[in-house]
Amino acid sequence: MKQITVAIAGQPNVGKSTLFNLLTGSRVLVANWPGVTVEKHEGFTEYKGYRIRFVDLPGVYGLSALTLEERISRSYILSGEADVLVALVDSTIPERTLYLPVQILEMFKKVVIVFTKYDLAHKLGLHVNLQHLEKRLGVPVVAVSARSGLGVSFLLDKIIEVAEHGGRGDYLRVDYGELEPFINSIESKLSGCGALAGYPLRWLSVRLLEGDAELARVVSEKCGSKIYEEVEEIRGEAKRVVGSDLAAVASSKRFAFITSITSESIVRLRLQQPTRSGSIFYHPLVGPALSILIVLSIFILAFIINTGFPLNVILSALGYRELAEEVEALSLSNLMSTSLGWLQELARSHIANPVLASFISDGVIGGVASILIFLPLIFMVMLILSIVEDTGLLPRMAVGVSTLTSRIGLSGNALFPITISMGCNVPGVFGARASLSSGERLRQILTLPLIPCQARLIVLLALATALKTLGGWLLVFLGYLTAFASFAVLNYIFYKLSREKEPVPEMLLEIPALHRPLGRVVWWMTWNNVKHFIAKAGTIIFASSIIIWALVSLTPGLTYTEDASASIAASLSRFLAPAVYPFQITGGKAWIIVFGLLMGLIAKEVFISSVITVSGSPSFTDAISSIGLSDPQIVAVGVFITLYMPCLATISAIYSETRSLKLTLLSIVLSITVAYAASTAIYYLILVL
Amino acid sequence: MLTLDLAKPGSKVRIVNIDGKGWVQRLYQMGLLPGSIAEVVANYGVGPIVLRVMGSEVALGRGIARRIVVEEVKEG
Ligand SMILES: Nc1nc2c(ncn2[C@@H]2O[C@H](COP(=O)(O)OP(=O)(O)OP(=O)(O)O)[C@@H](O)[C@H]2O)c(=O)[nH]1
Repeated sequence: MKQITVAIAGQPNVGKSTLFNLLTGSRVLVANWPGVTVEKHEGFTEYKGYRIRFVDLPGVYGLSALTLEERISRSYILSGEADVLVALVDSTIPERTLYLPVQILEMFKKVVIVFTKYDLAHKLGLHVNLQHLEKRLGVPVVAVSARSGLGVSFLLDKIIEVAEHGGRGDYLRVDYGELEPFINSIESKLSGCGALAGYPLRWLSVRLLEGDAELARVVSEKCGSKIYEEVEEIRGEAKRVVGSDLAAVASSKRFAFITSITSESIVRLRLQQPTRSGSIFYHPLVGPALSILIVLSIFILAFIINTGFPLNVILSALGYRELAEEVEALSLSNLMSTSLGWLQELARSHIANPVLASFISDGVIGGVASILIFLPLIFMVMLILSIVEDTGLLPRMAVGVSTLTSRIGLSGNALFPITISMGCNVPGVFGARASLSSGERLRQILTLPLIPCQARLIVLLALATALKTLGGWLLVFLGYLTAFASFAVLNYIFYKLSREKEPVPEMLLEIPALHRPLGRVVWWMTWNNVKHFIAKAGTIIFASSIIIWALVSLTPGLTYTEDASASIAASLSRFLAPAVYPFQITGGKAWIIVFGLLMGLIAKEVFISSVITVSGSPSFTDAISSIGLSDPQIVAVGVFITLYMPCLATISAIYSETRSLKLTLLSIVLSITVAYAASTAIYYLILVL
Repeated sequence: MLTLDLAKPGSKVRIVNIDGKGWVQRLYQMGLLPGSIAEVVANYGVGPIVLRVMGSEVALGRGIARRIVVEEVKEG
C-alpha cells in the first residue's frame, strides 16, 4: 500500500485538533518532538488504497522561530519529510488566520488549504468563493466542518491528488514592495552558495531581511561567514532606506496580500459583527470573583460525586446524619473501594497458599486499586477541563485572575490546576497543560505537588485529634498556610531564575469567541488524557505497588511474614529513623513515624493506617501517644507530611508529563527540602512561643 | 497620540508604533502592526487590556500596552 505523509499546520484555536481527530479517529500515537518536551501526535487512516499518515504540527501563529513550537514546525516543513501540508484557515476569522498558510506557501509547494468550522461561516453570513481562492493561491482549497462532517472525504481526495500530481510549480510570491530590491540582492548572493540547494531561497532571503537569527546561523554555517556579512550589509542598508522595523513591513505586506485576495473572494452578507459575550470576565473585580466561583463550584461538584465531601459534612452538621452516610456510601470512591475490598476478600479466601493469596489480594489487586481509585476523579476533572476549554471560558477566566497570579510568574491559567490540586495532585499536574508557555508549565508541574490534596487533609485532621493542648484548627491552618506559601515562594524564585529565557513574560493571549462545546471534541480531549494516565502513570503505580508489597510482606531474610514490623520496610524505617530527628523525635518508636511516611508515599492517607498497624494500637490517637509525640512534634509531622514528597501517583504523573527523570527527581528533592525547612521552622517557632 | 494602556474602552485606535524585541513579532502575526486598526474591548486601568483586531480578541499585559503608541480613530 502506498504511504503518504501529511503534516497539519494551523494557528491556535483554528480547529486543528478537531480535524486531526476527525481524520485519524482514535489511532493516534503520542511522542515527543526530538529533544524537546513538546508533544507530537501522529495518526493514520486508510483511504482509496493509500495509507495516509498525519502529523499534527504544534499550533503556531507564524513561522518566525519565535518560540520552540515555531522552530519545530518550521524545521519539520523544511525537512521535506511531509509529502503534503494541510494548512488551516478559521472560516470565522479568515483574514487573520490566512497568515500562516501564506507563509507556508512561500516555502512549500504541495499544500492543501482547509477552511475549518465552515458551519459557523454560514451562521455569520460569510460566503467564501473557494474557486477564486484556489486560482489566486494555486492550490486546492477545501471547506470542512467537524460539526457536520462536511468536506472530509473531499479533503482526502485532494490530499491524494496533490501528493500524486504535485501542488504549485513554484513558491508563492508575495509582493514585498519597497523591500523587493533588498530581497532580490540577498537572493542572488545566496544563489551562489551550493550548500543551500533545495532551500526556498526567496523565503530565506525575506526571513534574513527580517532579522531571523536562527536562519542567519544556518547560512553562516553552510555558506561561510563572508556571505553572511554581505547579507548583514544589505540588511543595514535596507533599514536605513526603509526607516522602520523590517519585520513589521514584511508582515504588513503579507496582510496586504491576504486582503487583496480575500476582498475578491470573501463576502460578508451581514455587516454587523458577531456579538461577543463574556466581556464581564475582563472586569478587575468581577472577573476574578466570578472565575474563582466557577472553578470552586466545579471542584466541589467533582468532589461530592467522588468522595461525598464536603456535602456529607454539611449534611451531618445540619442533623441529616443518615442522608450524609447515604451520600458517602454512594460516592464513586466508596463504591470502588467496596467492590475492590470484596475482590480482595474473594482472592484471600480462595487461594490456599498464604503468600500467593497476599500477593494477589494486596499486591496485584491493591495495585490495580490504587490506579482505579484515581480514575473517576481524573476522568471528571478532564471532562470539566475540556468543557471549560472548549467553550472559550478558560482564557476569559485566565484574564480575570491574571493580575493576582502574575505576581508569582504564573498566568491566569494556573487557576485551574491549582484548584484541582486541592482535590488531587495527579489531575492537577495534568492540568498544567493549560499554561501559556512551556516554561510556566514546567514551573507548575514542579510546584503543584506542594498544594495539599484531600488525602493530606485527612491526615491533618487525624493528627489534629491527637493534639493534647493545641487547637486542631491551628494544625490544619498551618498545614495549608505553609503549603500555599511555599508554592508561591518557589514559583516566584523559579520565575525570577527563568525570566531571561521567557520570550513573553507578560500576558499576550488570543481569546476565542464563547461557543457551545462540541461533544465530540470534549470526549476526545477527555478520553485522550485519561488514556494517557492509564498507560503511563498506571504502569508505574502498578509496578511500585508490587515492590511495596514485597517490602512489607518479606523479612530481611526474604521469608514471608504477616507481621509488618518484622518486614524489610520496618528494618528500613529503623535505619532511616534519623529522618525525624530534626523534630527531636528520637526514642525507640521513632521509626514508626518513618514507616508511616514511607507507606504514605503510596498515598498520603496510608500514613494513618500503617502507623496504627505497626504500633499495635487500637486507634490513631493511641498510636501517636504510644510513640510519645508532643504537640509541637505533631504539628511538625503534619506540616512535613503535607509537603515532604509527592505520592507515587503524582510522581508518575510528573514523569509522564515531563518525560524526564531529572525533573522528576528534582521535584522530589525540592519538596523534601521545602518540607524540612518549613516543618523544623514551625516546630521551633511553636517551642519558643 | 497616546500609549495603548491609556486608550478608552470602546474606542477605535490605529497603531502608530510598537517598541520591543521578540514578542513584537507575535503581535505582528496576530495582525497588530503599525497601521492596523483595533477596537479597545476592555481597559479598566488595571489588569490586561483586551483588543479586537481582525475579528478576534487579544488580551495584552499593561507592560506590553505601554510600549504601543496609538492614535484614536474617529468613527465616520
Ligand atoms: N462549529 C464548529 N466548531 C468547531 C469546528 N471545529 C472546531 N471547532 C471548535 O473550535 C475550537 C477550537 O478547536 P480545536 O480543535 O481545539 O483547535 P486547535 O486548533 O487544535 O486549538 P488548540 O487546541 O488551542 O491548539 C473548539 O472549541 C471546537 O469546538 C467545526 O467544524 N465547527
